[in-house]
Amino acid sequence: MSEVIMPKAGDAMTEGKVVRWYKQPGDAVKRGEPVAEIETDKVNLDLEAEADGTLGAHQAKEGDMVPVGNVLVKILAPGEKEAEKEEAKAEAPKAEPKAESPKEEPQKEEAKADEPQQRRSTDKKESVKHTTGEYHEAIEQRGPRRDRTAPEPAEPASGEPGDRKRSSPLARRMAREMGVNLDQVQGSGPRGRVIAADIKNAQTSDAKPEAPRPQVAAVHYEPRGTTTIPLTAMRRTIAKRLAESTGPIPHFYLTADYDVTNLVSMRQQMVEMTGSKVSLNDFLIRGIALALAQHPNINASWGDEAITQHGDIHIGVAVATADGLITPVIRNADQKSVLEIATEVRALAEKAKNRKLKPDEYQHSTFTISNLGAWGIEEFTAIINPPNAAILAIGAAEARPVADANRQLVVRDRMKVTMSCDHRVIDGATGAEFLKTLRQFVEQPLRLVTGF
Amino acid sequence: MSEKSYRDAIRDAMMEEMDRDPKVLIMGEDIGVYEGTFRITAGMLKKYGPKRVIDTPIAEAGMAGTAVGMAMLGLRPIVEMMTMNFAIVAADQILNHAAKVRYFSGGQVDVPMVIRGPQGVGVQLSAQHSQSFESFYAHFPGIHVVAPATPADAKGMLKTAIRGKDPVIFLESAALYGMKGEVPDDPDFTVPFGKSRIAREGKDVTIVSYSRMLQLSLAVADKLSKDEGVECEVIDLRTLRPLDMDPVYASVEKTHRAVVVQEQWKPFGAAAEIAASITEACFDDLDAPVYRVTGEDVPMPYARNLELLAVPHEEHILRGIRKVMYVAE
Repeated sequence: MSEVIMPKAGDAMTEGKVVRWYKQPGDAVKRGEPVAEIETDKVNLDLEAEADGTLGAHQAKEGDMVPVGNVLVKILAPGEKEAEKEEAKAEAPKAEPKAESPKEEPQKEEAKADEPQQRRSTDKKESVKHTTGEYHEAIEQRGPRRDRTAPEPAEPASGEPGDRKRSSPLARRMAREMGVNLDQVQGSGPRGRVIAADIKNAQTSDAKPEAPRPQVAAVHYEPRGTTTIPLTAMRRTIAKRLAESTGPIPHFYLTADYDVTNLVSMRQQMVEMTGSKVSLNDFLIRGIALALAQHPNINASWGDEAITQHGDIHIGVAVATADGLITPVIRNADQKSVLEIATEVRALAEKAKNRKLKPDEYQHSTFTISNLGAWGIEEFTAIINPPNAAILAIGAAEARPVADANRQLVVRDRMKVTMSCDHRVIDGATGAEFLKTLRQFVEQPLRLVTGF
Repeated sequence: MSEKSYRDAIRDAMMEEMDRDPKVLIMGEDIGVYEGTFRITAGMLKKYGPKRVIDTPIAEAGMAGTAVGMAMLGLRPIVEMMTMNFAIVAADQILNHAAKVRYFSGGQVDVPMVIRGPQGVGVQLSAQHSQSFESFYAHFPGIHVVAPATPADAKGMLKTAIRGKDPVIFLESAALYGMKGEVPDDPDFTVPFGKSRIAREGKDVTIVSYSRMLQLSLAVADKLSKDEGVECEVIDLRTLRPLDMDPVYASVEKTHRAVVVQEQWKPFGAAAEIAASITEACFDDLDAPVYRVTGEDVPMPYARNLELLAVPHEEHILRGIRKVMYVAE
């Protein structure tokens, strides 16, 4: 027998969602054949069978979130049967659960360890009356115990009759003391266990005192329903990472206005000459990479003990997808030609849109750019993508009237960029020096060829 | 204070007590002429002569039984086991005699003896010579079980053991013999039994350990504090019997989570006793099940690569901490 488990597809991944099952219980599968598609906070992946055999019972439903390392399905060797108890459970989940429980016991060592209230507390501090009352009630309400390997959702199934809310002893005590209803709290621990942090969060969100309302004349307003958009794993990660960024990182911003007339015409020539779809952004990536090579203090990261200047120049390019934002990385961008960069950006952006990026394609950038030029944004500020020390927000290249060297009004192609800097790493003048170097690459684009 | 190795601290304790009390003597295999397999008894035969530093045959049961008799008649024998693994041969003398005489005699006869020697994992000592015995001995009433983690404790606790009136199993970690630390010079410096020590203060998670694993736990705690701002409270139990759990309970009431670290096997080990006690006393304070970090449940392999896999390392303790803190690895 082999098992298909929820893989860890990235450092931050703790759980993944089952998007769809390609194979049903009883289907024959071959080694290497995809069995299920899962969604992580970054990508969708197909999970493959590691051996030939017959698929056992699904241990999660489509749409379920499953912790990393948990078994999704077993692949049975020819002639092998899934353990009897699981079959019984899978086929007839409601049939005589009481009779079944004793023989399940030995299988549930791990579950047992996690369930202290199964046994009577010998707590020195707890009033006996109080605990025993709750204890018996809990036992009676609980009904049959759930088997971790049974094909039921891994998520907390609150509200299911006969089930109980998993919670840590501390969380229960805090809920009691703070008057929080445990059943209303979403557990963030393993198998939906409510832990102390969940009670704290629940309390702070519940406990807003109601302010007295001023009396106003009754006006009829058309009621409009609210829409709740469930957080996807990706949206959660975006929120977490960006909050981590603006919180601890002291940002400051430097804006420069570049003359890109020459660059625009160079790009036009290259498109005509090669027939490839090179964008202004691809030129900028090379320019930024070459400028970073001259300014290692920008291509850097803050650490509690030291600032790291990265030798390699890996440029993250923010790409919008239907689900949100991801930054595929152009590695060693200073050593690639504009055409190479163009090809790579297009391939990675395509993968990003289909959620097929692999972790090594979107992790470990040393600098990030975000270009909203295509949306006609003139200028904006971006939030640093940790552990980068800076991000460059690139606006639209537009024809604008400007004064030339002779103070005559002329129309030129102009483009504004704003660099958000981590002030712990970069000072105003160092950032300005970098933007000055970048100006040379952008305004005299022949330098993109010479490389200096 | 002066800086001493764990090895020298043990020798100093014995020699100071032999100077102080003519009833103290030591016996063991190769401890006299050869000066000890681990050089613990270097210089002692020369100083105290063969009546007080006795080279014995390879006969642990005989050594332990002789010591029980000597102790019953008023001497204060120290028995050096070349390693504690060899003391299994003497288990009857230790557990059925040394540990029972006071009880059987209605408190009329004391058995002031110390059985000391190294235990635990070394480097390729293989399955018969790498075992840990704290939970084995601590299971039995009637003996003290001591496992010091620092040179100062090794000295102070060995003196307490020699001066006491009951049999003491004094477990040394061979891997700590070379460890240096500040040791008080006062010849009357002793460390009482049954007093756990807060080796490092912290607020986020409680780590409970002893002997060599205590040092490993402290290293992890320092690293976590530096890298992630997680503050571990590390508690050194020092003695497994008597076991002083009060500082552990106080700590868990503060941190709400605990990791217990031991080198030996998991089933029925010291960590199981400690974890169960925490659950009994601090049930309503726990935010996560107490996690045990232990050696692998196998006879110690001889092959170095497998041996390394069989004992806890920093990453195992880290994993336990992350687990009880609900932090993804």
